[in-house]
Amino acid sequence: MDFKTFLHAGSNRRAMLKGMGVAAVGFSLTGALAGCGEKEAAKLANGEEAKLNFYNWDTYIGETTLEDYKDKAGVDVNMTLFASNDELFAKLRAGNPGYDVIVPSNDFVERMAAADMLVELDKAQVPNFKNVAPDYQDVPYDPARKYSMPYTWLALGIGYRKSKVKSVPDSWKVLFDSDAYKGRIAVLSEAGDMFRLYGKYMGKSVNGLTDADIKMIEAMMIKQKPNIKSFHEDNGQDLLLKGEVDLVLEYNGDIAQIMAEDSDIGFVIPKEGSQLNSDNLCIPKGAPHPKNAHAFINYLLDAEAGKKITETILYPTPNDAAKALMPDDYKNNQVIFPPAAVLAKCEYAKFNPELQPKYEEAFTRVRAA
Amino acid sequence: MFNRTAIAPLEYTRKLWMRSWVGLTMLFLYAPLIVLMIFSFNDSKRNVVWKGFTLKYYEKALSNDSLVEAMANSLTIAFFATIISLVIGTLAAVMLWRFRFPFKGLVEGTMSLPIIVPEICLGVAFLIFFAKIDWPTDLPWPLNLSAITIAHITFCFPFVAMVVRARLASFNKEEEEAAKDLGATEWQAFRDVLLPHIKPSLVAGALLAFTLSLDDFVITFFTSGPDTITFPVKVYSMVRFSVTPEVNAASTILIILTVALTFIALKYQGVKGISDAH
Amino acid sequence: MSGPLQDWKSQRKPFAAVASAPVFWLALFFIAPMAIVWLYSFGQNAGPADIDISGTLDNYKRATEWLYLSIFLKSLAVAALTTLICLIIGFPVAMAITFAAPKWRPWLLLGIMLPFWTNLLIRTYALMALMGTNGYMNKGLGGLWEGASWLRTLVGMQPLEAWTPVQLLYNNFAVVLGLVYVHLPFMVLPLYSALDRLDKSLIEASLDLGAGHFKTFMQVVVPLAAPGIVAGVMITLIPALGAYLTPDLMGGTDSQMIANVIERQFKRANDWPFGAALSFLLIYAMFILIALQSMRSNKVKELR
Repeated sequence: MDFKTFLHAGSNRRAMLKGMGVAAVGFSLTGALAGCGEKEAAKLANGEEAKLNFYNWDTYIGETTLEDYKDKAGVDVNMTLFASNDELFAKLRAGNPGYDVIVPSNDFVERMAAADMLVELDKAQVPNFKNVAPDYQDVPYDPARKYSMPYTWLALGIGYRKSKVKSVPDSWKVLFDSDAYKGRIAVLSEAGDMFRLYGKYMGKSVNGLTDADIKMIEAMMIKQKPNIKSFHEDNGQDLLLKGEVDLVLEYNGDIAQIMAEDSDIGFVIPKEGSQLNSDNLCIPKGAPHPKNAHAFINYLLDAEAGKKITETILYPTPNDAAKALMPDDYKNNQVIFPPAAVLAKCEYAKFNPELQPKYEEAFTRVRAA
Repeated sequence: MFNRTAIAPLEYTRKLWMRSWVGLTMLFLYAPLIVLMIFSFNDSKRNVVWKGFTLKYYEKALSNDSLVEAMANSLTIAFFATIISLVIGTLAAVMLWRFRFPFKGLVEGTMSLPIIVPEICLGVAFLIFFAKIDWPTDLPWPLNLSAITIAHITFCFPFVAMVVRARLASFNKEEEEAAKDLGATEWQAFRDVLLPHIKPSLVAGALLAFTLSLDDFVITFFTSGPDTITFPVKVYSMVRFSVTPEVNAASTILIILTVALTFIALKYQGVKGISDAH
Repeated sequence: MSGPLQDWKSQRKPFAAVASAPVFWLALFFIAPMAIVWLYSFGQNAGPADIDISGTLDNYKRATEWLYLSIFLKSLAVAALTTLICLIIGFPVAMAITFAAPKWRPWLLLGIMLPFWTNLLIRTYALMALMGTNGYMNKGLGGLWEGASWLRTLVGMQPLEAWTPVQLLYNNFAVVLGLVYVHLPFMVLPLYSALDRLDKSLIEASLDLGAGHFKTFMQVVVPLAAPGIVAGVMITLIPALGAYLTPDLMGGTDSQMIANVIERQFKRANDWPFGAALSFLLIYAMFILIALQSMRSNKVKELR
């Protein structure tokens, strides 16, 4: 191995001093912080330390929820962030590094339950379960809610800029099968979701695709690719807001958030139906504070706390008690709560270990084409 | 551009085209940073459209405990990783430079592997490794940063070794032999003859290791737990959802801190001898 | 230049002193983890979170399919282009720093390094803000366009048609630009280091003997700086080949690079064995590249 001549003198002595200086500052800062944080955590009545490690999506909590909970229960909630379900799963796959409560989406609840990574919830410790809307008390991906409690739910649809579209894009055709808006479209980069939605467009169920279907959809995607500007990673609403694209495949909650900032934005769930998602609260196996975890989940399902959370994140909530406390413009918002007729055509995606790798491989081919 | 003295043939840097070239390059490198700093004052939840001037995001960033803690963690890890990488890397460089031993080529090759392994592969490898050997996850600070620090050292020290080795190539062994002839022990020869010669590469290696450690996030992501968030990991999870001006504010603070410390170090160190460590 | 290598047996204690720490560290904290992943590449998924190491070669077979090889070659092309551009931009900058007055040199070096200390993700997002359809670059270009159009009307010609923003993002152009942006300091530093040790009297001699600046440059400076160029190329090419954030964020629908595919296997697809196989193929390829370069430079050393 012979990398001759690499770095030489130059700025280096000064730079090293700088480096050490920065480190020294950091060190002292951290020392101060550590002094604050490492006091012996008090023991609660339930025998656990007054601490909780909450692994959540970013901005997916109320502005004061964690402080409120600290005041109420005396427990210090340490919220750390992840950016996608895969990261969550990848981190926890080899063993739980210390998280008490996590927020996976519905298909990951299935996956993690199948992999025996979740603790069965003790409903006796979560009396606020009664606040949950009946539709969400028993769901296909977690029958009888053994492992999870619902936190939010979402539907996929088309966000669009009203001034730039000829008519309301109420069919998936606009995104998947037409060049009417060439170069002004962004779709998801998640292989499974894309294939399932194409399935919906073709009139099939999201969970009923066959190998032949996959091949056909792959061909359609390749055909449509020149019309797509970007496969976004869940920041489609930013693209729409910035004017990079005029049509985007996104979740209703994300679009509702930007509609508050720009009245030229609209959202619609196509007539062929769509896919439902739901983010859930779970306790992974090996959680150091399971009793605190149950208590925290119970708190999040409380009506008042739920209302505060929903006010901040503006996503559809499965918590009926919280929903009742929300202002009318939220409850009647057609984007956040699509009409029942539309929702009837939406389905949850099932976790399918055989189909998932097929979707991934096909999507890699689409992206390489 | 008004030259008081004529431009000598070798003073390329005073030539107009050279200056324009460097100027444009600097513009290219800095324009996004300047935009970032300007947008940290943007009064909008999202970063995309200018809505008005505000300082509230600086307040938010500074009072965001987890962000400050993440920054502190990053600096601490970088500090320890740099020091240990420096030691191990220098030892490795000396070993390769001075000795002949069986399987030397293999060792040399293996040492360069951490640089070429895709980061995500290395990250997953560490994740599994620490899980399999049951590395304790509830140590007090700063020991709980040990897993991340170990991972960082592993991919930093080959860089240090590379840098030091390049410098060692120009070392005249006879100087060391002369010292030993004059009665120095092995260790004294190392400390008083070899080390001063390689000092610039030590500094360069330290700089490199510090930078790599501070900005790493893929490997850190896989080796961090709930109590050990670092700045890049925190920023990554924040910007995926929406880039708020708060993140810009935090970055601006970090940039200003860096620049300020450099100025202080420069004043303290004196500008002399900066470039003359030949 | 530095004397013959000593045999380790003749100096056991010093050898042990220097060799024990690096070798031990490498063995425990690098080889062991990588060995586990290497074993995984011969395994297959047995359920969502378990891997059964069955000694199968299926993953490698799949990794060498044309689909993945083509992605790899494309990544190599993009990385090579990035490296070339970095070299072209970086060489004059390195020269400028080398020949600058000593009091400016540290500032210039600092200037090059400083962007490096900003978080990569934030830098990328800032760059994207500039390059967007409504970003400042497009606004600037639009302004120039309008200005040209207005000048034309002054002269009596037809004005130009209305300005439509140029798509600077979400395509391969953006990926290359982003990669150049990230890797430029990596190229400048080794170049500076090599040029710094150049004997300037050689350049003076060449100029005195009548060669022009350009000829001097091509025939004196470049060959002497060759080791630095090689180092810079290696240090830029290899990370560029393994880059996945930049193509992910800034790329368009056909800007998929090999590192993106690998990342997807470890995350979305939850197919760690396959991801491991792809990673190791990438590692073997890069290793061969470096070995070839190393052999060449050793041969050159022998010839000298």
